[in-house]
Order: sequence, then C-alpha cells, then structure tokens
Amino acid sequence: MTPALLGNLGVSLTLAFSLLGLGLSLLAYLQGDGRFLKGAKSLVLPAFLAASAAFLALEWALLTHDFSLAYVARNHSTKDPLWVTLVTPWAALEGSILLWGLLQTLYTLLASRKLLDPWRASLVLAVLFGIQVFFFGVMATIASPFETLPDPPPDGVGPNPLLQNHWMMAVHPVLMYLGFVGLSVPYAYAVAAMVTRRYQTWVEETRWWTLIAWGFLTAGKVAGMWWSYEVLGWGGYWAWDPVENASFIPWLLATAFLHTAFVQQTRGAFKTWNFAFVTLAFAATVLGTFLTRSGVIQSVHAFAEGPVGPAFLGFFLLATGLGLGLLSRVSREVRDTALFHPLSREGALLLGAFFFAGWALVVVLGTFYPLLVEAFTGAKVSVGAPFFNQVSAPLGAGILLLMGVGPLLPWRRAREEVLRNLLVLLLALALGTLLGLSRGYALGASFALGLFLYNAAAIYLLAREGVLARVRAGLSPWGFLANRRRVGSLVVHFAVALMGLGIAFSQTYRLESEKTLYRGEAWEAGGVRITFQGVRALDEGRRFAVEALLETDRFGEVRPRLHFYPQMNSPLPAPKVVYTPGNDYYFLLMDFDREKGEWASLRLIVTPLVFWMWVAGGLMALGTLYILWPAARAEEAKGVSPA
Amino acid sequence: MRGGLWLLLILALGGLFWWGMQRDPRELPSVLAQERRPAPDFALPLLPPYRAAWGETFRLADHLGKKPVVINFWASWCYPACYEEAPVLEAFWRRHRDQVLFVGVNFQDKELEALRFIAQFGLTFPQVYDPRGRVGVDYGVRGVPETFFIDREGRVLARHAGAVDEATLARYLEEALR
Amino acid sequence: MRWVLLLMALLLPALAQEGPPPDLPPEVFRIARELRCPVCQGESAAESNSGVAAEMRRIIAEMLREGKTEEEIKAFFVERYGEWILYAPPRRGVTLWVWVLPLLGLLLLGLGLFAYFRPRPLPKELLEEAERRLKEPPR
Repeated sequence: MTPALLGNLGVSLTLAFSLLGLGLSLLAYLQGDGRFLKGAKSLVLPAFLAASAAFLALEWALLTHDFSLAYVARNHSTKDPLWVTLVTPWAALEGSILLWGLLQTLYTLLASRKLLDPWRASLVLAVLFGIQVFFFGVMATIASPFETLPDPPPDGVGPNPLLQNHWMMAVHPVLMYLGFVGLSVPYAYAVAAMVTRRYQTWVEETRWWTLIAWGFLTAGKVAGMWWSYEVLGWGGYWAWDPVENASFIPWLLATAFLHTAFVQQTRGAFKTWNFAFVTLAFAATVLGTFLTRSGVIQSVHAFAEGPVGPAFLGFFLLATGLGLGLLSRVSREVRDTALFHPLSREGALLLGAFFFAGWALVVVLGTFYPLLVEAFTGAKVSVGAPFFNQVSAPLGAGILLLMGVGPLLPWRRAREEVLRNLLVLLLALALGTLLGLSRGYALGASFALGLFLYNAAAIYLLAREGVLARVRAGLSPWGFLANRRRVGSLVVHFAVALMGLGIAFSQTYRLESEKTLYRGEAWEAGGVRITFQGVRALDEGRRFAVEALLETDRFGEVRPRLHFYPQMNSPLPAPKVVYTPGNDYYFLLMDFDREKGEWASLRLIVTPLVFWMWVAGGLMALGTLYILWPAARAEEAKGVSPA
Repeated sequence: MRGGLWLLLILALGGLFWWGMQRDPRELPSVLAQERRPAPDFALPLLPPYRAAWGETFRLADHLGKKPVVINFWASWCYPACYEEAPVLEAFWRRHRDQVLFVGVNFQDKELEALRFIAQFGLTFPQVYDPRGRVGVDYGVRGVPETFFIDREGRVLARHAGAVDEATLARYLEEALR
Repeated sequence: MRWVLLLMALLLPALAQEGPPPDLPPEVFRIARELRCPVCQGESAAESNSGVAAEMRRIIAEMLREGKTEEEIKAFFVERYGEWILYAPPRRGVTLWVWVLPLLGLLLLGLGLFAYFRPRPLPKELLEEAERRLKEPPR
C-alpha cells in the first residue's frame, strides 16, 4: 500500500458512492420508494470514510516525504516544520479541493441524520451527492492530488512562503471551507422545497446550518484579515482584491439570507427572497474558486491556472441555473401576499437584506467591470480599493442604521411607544457625531462614532426591555440570557458596530512613512521614538532572517524582520505589530546595509482601532456560538422567548 | 418570462467568463506604441565594456531620426525569458547593424551580474545601466524583457512583451524602415 | 558554510544596493495606494515590494519635493501606463458607468421597495367573497 494507491482508491470510492447515492436518491424521489432512500442514506457514511482515507493518504505522503506524488514534490520540503507539513494539504489547488470535498462528505453525513420528511429527503440527498460528484469527479480527472511523478526529486521547495509565515494560514482556509460547504445544506433544502412545492419549513430545518455557515464564513474572513495584517506586511487587512471580493460576496449574500430566513421562520414571508439569496450565496462560493483558479482576473491570490477553471464555471452556472430556474417556475406560488409596513421589524429586515444584496451586487460589478470593459471595448481599466471604499461607506452606514433600529421595531407595524426609543437612538447618533466633530475627527469617522453609540444604545434598550419584561412577569432577570437567539444576535450586532467603528477609523487615519536610520539614530513618528541599534542575522534552516534591533520609548525592544526563502527572489518582510487600545504600531524592515549593517530602512504604519476589529471578530464568533449552543434548543422549547 | 430573463443573464455571465478565460489578463497595451508617441529621451551611463566605443553616457536623442532604434529592457535575474532572447538579439544586431541601432537597457539589476550576463552572451550592442528602473517607468515597462521599436522619425512603433524572436524582429524592422 | 549560504541569500534580491533608499513621507503612500503596481498581480504601488513599485514611490516622493500636486503625479503615471494604472476609475468614458450603476441600482431598489410596501388592493374575488360572507346570516 502506498499513499498514492490509498489516495486514488479513496477518491474513486467516494466518487462511486456519491454517483450511486445520487442515482438512488433520484430513484427514491421518482419512484416514491423508501427502500431506495434507505440505500442512498447508507452510502453517506462510506463516502465520508473513503474521502477521509484519501485525505489521510495525502497527510501520510507529506509526513513520509513521498516525493513521487506531484503534489508533495511541488508543495513540500523535508525542512518544513511539522505544523506546516500538516497544513500543506490546503496549501495548493488539488489538496484544497480534497479538503473541500472531505468537508462536503462530512456535512452530507451530518445533514442526512436529520432528514425529517422522506419526500424531500431524497432530493436533499440528491443535491448533496451531486455536489460530491462534482468535487470528486474533478479530483478523479483534471486535478488529482495523487498524480505521481515518474522521476521523483530528492526534495521539494515547500509551500508558498507567504503561507508558512503565520499559523493563521493553517486556520483561515479551513474556516472558509467550513463556511462555504455549510451553505450547501440550505441550498439543497431550498432546491428540494421548490421541487416538492413545500415552501415553508425548510428555512426552519436549515436554521442551524445557515448559522453555522455564517459563523464560519465570518470567522474565516476575520482570520484572513488578521493574517493579511500580521503577515503580508503592507499594514492593511483588506485590499479589495478580486479574490477577497469573491469570498466577501457569499458572506454578504449569506447575511442577507440569514435575515430574510428569520422573517420566514417567524412570519412566513419573503419566500422568494430566501430561495434567491440561498441560491446566489451558494453559487457565489463556487464563483470564488473559479476566480482564484481560472486566471480570469488579475489577483495576488490567483495561483495556478489549471484546467479546473471551466469545470468550476460550469458548476457555478449549473448551481445558479438550477436554483433560479426552479424559482422562476414556482415564483407565482411563493409570492408574498401579506401587506408590509416599512416601519416594522420585517420591513427593516427586508431593507437590511437588500442593503447586503445590493452591496454584493456592487462588489460583483466592481470586480468584473474591467472584464466587461475589455470584452466590449478592448480597453484595460482597473477598479480598486478607492472605488470599493467609496461605494461601500454609504452601504455600510445604511446597514448600521438599520441594525440599530430594526430589532426595536415590532412586527407588522410600529406602535407609538417605539417613537420614544427612536428618539433615544437619534440622540445617541447625534451626540456621537458631534463628539467626534468636536474632537476634530473627519465627518465620516465622526458619523461612525455616532453610529457606534446609536447601536450601543439600541442594544442597551433591547436588553433592558427583555430584562424588564421578565421582572414584570416575576421571573429572574438572568433568564433573559436563556433567550440565546436574542442575546447572541445582540452580541453579534454589537460586534458589527464595533467592527464598523474600527474600519471607519483605521481607513480614515492611517499614517505610513518610511525612513532610513543609521546606527544610533532616533526617529520620532506617530507618537513613538525609535532608535536603531543594529541588525542581526539568523539561520532558521528553511529560511534566513535578518532582524533590526529597534529600541522604542514606549514598547521596549521591537524587532521587525526580513525573511529570505531559497525559493523566493526577493525577501519577505515580517512585520512586528504592537497593539494598543488606541493606535496600532506596525514596524517593517524594508532594507538594510548589506555590507556593514550600518543603516536600516524602516517603515512605520500607525493605524487606529485595529485591535478592536479583532476583538469584534472574536465577539461575532462567540455570539454565533452562543446561539448555536445545544442547550438553546431545549430552552427555546420551553417558550421563554419574548421576541 | 422573468425566469427566462434570469437564465439569459446567467448565460451572458457564463459567456463573459468563458471569454475571460481565453485571454491573458496580463497582456497590457503600451500607451507609447498605441499613440505612436515620440520615444522618451534618456541619458544613462553605459556599462564599462561599451565606453570605449560609445562614451560615458548614452543619450537617446543623439541617435534618433537617423536609423530605426530597438530598445531592449532586460535583467540578469529575469530567467528564462531574457536568457532566451539574448542570443537572438545579438545575432540579429550583427546582421543588421548598418540598418538599425540596438540599445540594451539593463533594468533594476546589479552591475556585476549584468556584466556576467553580457559576457555570457557576448553582447556587442551598446548596453546602458538603469539600476533604479526610472527609464523603464518612462517607457511604461510592466516587466522584463520588453522590446520597443522606434521608427526613423523617433516615434514608438511597437512594443513586444516577453522574449522576442527572429521573425518578430524582422517584421518590425521592415515596418520601421518603410 | 552557513555564512556563505546566508551571504548568497542576501545577494539574491534583484535590486542593486546603491546606498540607502530615500525617506518617504506619509503623503507618498497616500498617493501610491491609488496607483496600481505595473508588474504585480493586483497590488497597489504602496503595498508591493517589487522594484518598480519602490521606484514609483521614489518618483512620487521626488515629485512632491518639486512641489507637484497629486493630480500632476497621477497624470504623470497615466501618461506612461494609461488609465489602467488608476485604482479609482475616472468618472468619464467607459468607466463612468461603474460609478453610475450603483446609484442607478439604489434608485431602482428604492422604487422596488416603494412598490413592495405600497398598500396593495386585495384581489377582487377575495373582496367579493368576503362581502358575500358578511351578508350571509350567521348560522
């Protein structure tokens, strides 16, 4: 037994099980025969096990330095530390597809255990098996992780150095994939709902999946931002690169879906929007991979331009076409008939969802506009960060405004007493904005401060309302915490407001400068005094490092580095970031005197409130986790929800 | 009907992406060649082996308006493209040196390594040294190697990105001589 | 041996070392962030570590010292690389639409929402049915 053999066996078996499962579940639907469904269900576990075997085979090959595998030879080196070796399966295309496929089989396995309605179950399974067929079909044909080399090299070059600079890179892709794959379950349910014309219950049944997917996508995005900030050495966390956009689009659409799904769960409305949003969100996850791998658009993230581009394009078109095609067939039946008042909970939720979807559209437009212009005029244009920042600011502000007021509005129609709350909110908004302006901040940043206070006030009012309602009913106020959905969403909303504040300030006030210092020379910039003491070289086996020894008056010694990798032409700067509650101090060594180490060229980037963005990211994950915590279901069953 | 519109939109998107995959997103036009602008002038130090024949500095303006000029941007760290085209350029220059002037611009390189490259291929056309790459910016260079063809009036006729071959050189030279 | 390797690694970088690079004030980075690095895969001239991006930052610093305005500096690069180099597409010509379309979309969204929330009359059959039932004597 060799890793290649085991891996190929695993991939082929998963493909075979998935194909068989797809056939059986379709038969089960067409014949209305439970035996076929049982047969399909029994294939879920073997598919997961075979996929796990394939994944373990890749790990095995990496751990034993089996360079006869092309993937290992291209992405591994005997000098790699253990943790880098363990995460190398998702350092390149083929391994990433394997991880994605493995997670899909895991989610199919988990989802198959909760299928209530046998009529729709067969279709849900068919869709999930179909997705597995795609991923494992791609691996079996055009992007095999287990392709062997006739003439294996004695050692490889290791994964892309950017990916091995920080442990976050081990986590970020897995979180993203967990999120992407999570959207496949609501999508499968939506397709089944549209085919069987049972439009209501699927949102409730996939509620947890939607939240799990959203939680992972959010955590993955924030992890990616953190990685970009701590590792890439440009002092930013978001560049509006096409591939970043491509993973932002599913997040935006999933957020829109999350909110309209809530309305369908509680009020039975917005069915059309839910079908549309879930389809687009799932399709957008495939689109991201297509963008990364097809070379359609220039991006820092566009790695190998393999033959998988057309395959992912076809899959994207199929997924979108299936969802929207079915929706157009049933659109008459899912249309909302009830009347809506714009000043109501559902009105605010729909408006908010439209803001998210509109934002997704704008991001799509900006990302593909250069391609569109080139297709029609042949001209080359760029659409980058300045455009996206300008169009995103009003959208983000609109979302923050709705986020505060929405949960305070009652369903159906606003009542008189809500007006008092609104007054408090507007007061907080005005107060925050004026406070910002009086401290000399720019209008945008001041407004962001106002929006933060406005949302904090809204959350306070909501929490107070919940607690008071319980006190009036003679219950313990702590019981409010048992309303996990409410409390968790308040935590997430607070985190979003905090994130908004951090983004607004860090984008508005960023000080970046570069200076060459001679040994012993001091530099005062951004409120810190830096003295350059010299450079030091270190040999770390797989790379060489050069450290600048900087003495600062506020943070002691700081040592930014330059890393020299044998496989890279130019050195990679490894920044040193000093977080403080106010400003972040980001030190970069750009260049140094190669002969005597007499001088070093340093870049210092001072950015406010970035620290709080990472706190907000953590809070978002915690809030989502709080809602998802298993006890929540039991509590909710007791009916303590005052919302 | 509305469903059909959606499907059409999806198909259009698919078509756009399909078209996008068939082209190279890195292929970018040269503003100079598109508008046939006068070649930006420069005065750069010549690398030591050429100083005897061409002087200390090479000023492009002194050579424009007589023969067509071919300017080649290269670097020793540009492997393999620059290594592929160097012998082609040298052979072409030897054959057509009475009709055309070749100038090599060594781009963001180290002098020692540039000299080693020159010795390796025995380059005989004048080579200037631009360690900062400032002239490259003036010509809108997006990567090495790039070759610019300048006609007898001193206007940029064409730019070729990537390693240049014999046929391309011959074609543009003929165009420049016309 | 190790030191030889280290020296080799240090010699590897493409850029020649002719004394230390110039100092760059914050203004340079602000402008460079709006310009695309010509040799990179979608990075701005402020972020990239490539030689051309470094030279662009240096040129921006020099032009600022000469008293050139931001517009003049951007025009300098557009002249050489075309409008492709601007990360903020100009608000005219083919790239006008990328700015206009979001506004147009917002307008359409507003109109759509207005239609969605507007009180709609109930279907005629339903009203007739209700009226008929109202008139029926209670059983």
